[in-house]
Amino acid sequence: MMENFGWLMLWGVLVGLDLVSALQTMIARPLIAGTVAGFILGDPVSGATVGVVLELFALEVLPVGGSRYPDYGLGAVCAAATAVHAPGVFGTGIGVAVGLFVAYIGGKAIYLVRVENAADVRAHRKQLDTGSSTAVTGVQLRSLGRDVVRALVVTWIGLLIAAATLRWLPVTLEVSVYLGIAAVGAGVAAGVSGVGRLTGRKSALSWFVLGLAGGLVGVVFG
Amino acid sequence: MKQGMVRSWLRSLLLQASWNYERMIGIGLAFTTEPLLRDLPGGVEGERYRAALARATQQFNGHPYLIGLAAGALARVEHEALPEEQVKRLRTALAGPLGSVGDKMVWAGLLPVASALGMVLAVWVSPTAAVLGFLVLYNAVHFVLRGWALYSGWNGGLRVGQRLGARLIKLGLRLAGPLAALTVGFALPVVGAWLVRHLDAQELVGAGLIAGVGVVFARWVWPTLGGNRFGLAAVAVALLLGWL
Repeated sequence: MMENFGWLMLWGVLVGLDLVSALQTMIARPLIAGTVAGFILGDPVSGATVGVVLELFALEVLPVGGSRYPDYGLGAVCAAATAVHAPGVFGTGIGVAVGLFVAYIGGKAIYLVRVENAADVRAHRKQLDTGSSTAVTGVQLRSLGRDVVRALVVTWIGLLIAAATLRWLPVTLEVSVYLGIAAVGAGVAAGVSGVGRLTGRKSALSWFVLGLAGGLVGVVFG
Repeated sequence: MKQGMVRSWLRSLLLQASWNYERMIGIGLAFTTEPLLRDLPGGVEGERYRAALARATQQFNGHPYLIGLAAGALARVEHEALPEEQVKRLRTALAGPLGSVGDKMVWAGLLPVASALGMVLAVWVSPTAAVLGFLVLYNAVHFVLRGWALYSGWNGGLRVGQRLGARLIKLGLRLAGPLAALTVGFALPVVGAWLVRHLDAQELVGAGLIAGVGVVFARWVWPTLGGNRFGLAAVAVALLLGWL
């Protein structure tokens, strides 16, 4: 992990910024963030696997208005870093576990950044209310800077947690299997709940059932 | 004005950087609108420019991809020198629809569709196909939507509401939910079967049990718990069970 630390940090900053502050091209989706982190670490399949599980969790998130939500993108970067370095095929569970924790921290950090942004707005209220373009640009760029710092700090803490987990957490084969079961089960639950929100209306529910049937056919004959 | 439109479109990509609990995306809206206000009579030192920019910084919220409609329309009415009260009314009238239309079309439509496609590609094709498939499909719509919004806002001005009722938007709103439900419904068994391919029967029952408990919690027992905290709790229980 250490030899790719710089690239992972850079990827973490891009992913962190993409979530809300800049572009929103969805590289912050865990599927993309985890898979690319896997590519950086030389194992895209492990990155995609934890990315898919965390993507199921992310299906539940509707980022509307001022809602608070976990940062699954940064979670996926650190999950991939953990899973790639975990022995055998049992890295998924431990990776997702780290990813969920980092996503939680990332979400809390977003709230802190927004509170700081509000303080910045209050401090420059007079200039903003008199139409100063310098003040508008200043608040915008300082806020962007805060999010860069958030992404850097959360990625750094996340990679530290990943390294500490791999080094010191006593994870036997049995524990890995249990973690894998918990991660996949909880991920599927979050995904189904997310769809539940989307398919609130009866007509959408019938489309969901149709899709489900198609997916099952695909699994059997695919 | 063409240069101003390009600048405004580029700035809209940073719109939400200053999201805050004081004015939400008000500052971001002003940051996006500013290039369109520069050629108001009197220029950037003029009274009209400063007054228009000050109005633009007030509290506002809406979907980030459709914010161009507000930026373009508000800049246009400032150029047309409409009374301040009318500008404020337009601003208030736009916030709600921009949020609901964008949320329904993008967050609850396009995004889950791209996500489902990406997951299926990851399972059936390759990680590279997943990344490319997701990003190309999503961003083809995303960037066109941003550009259309700004162009329509500027051209619509005070009548921007009619643009929100365009046939394509109506079609998008009608298709978003069913398409998302269909594709995510398809992806769930495909992804689920792939993730549990290494588990034996007993372990499968365990995963199914956790999934069932999770759905019951999310739907009926504790809807505000959220998948993240439920996942963390499940992981903690798994660790304890493993260590004991």
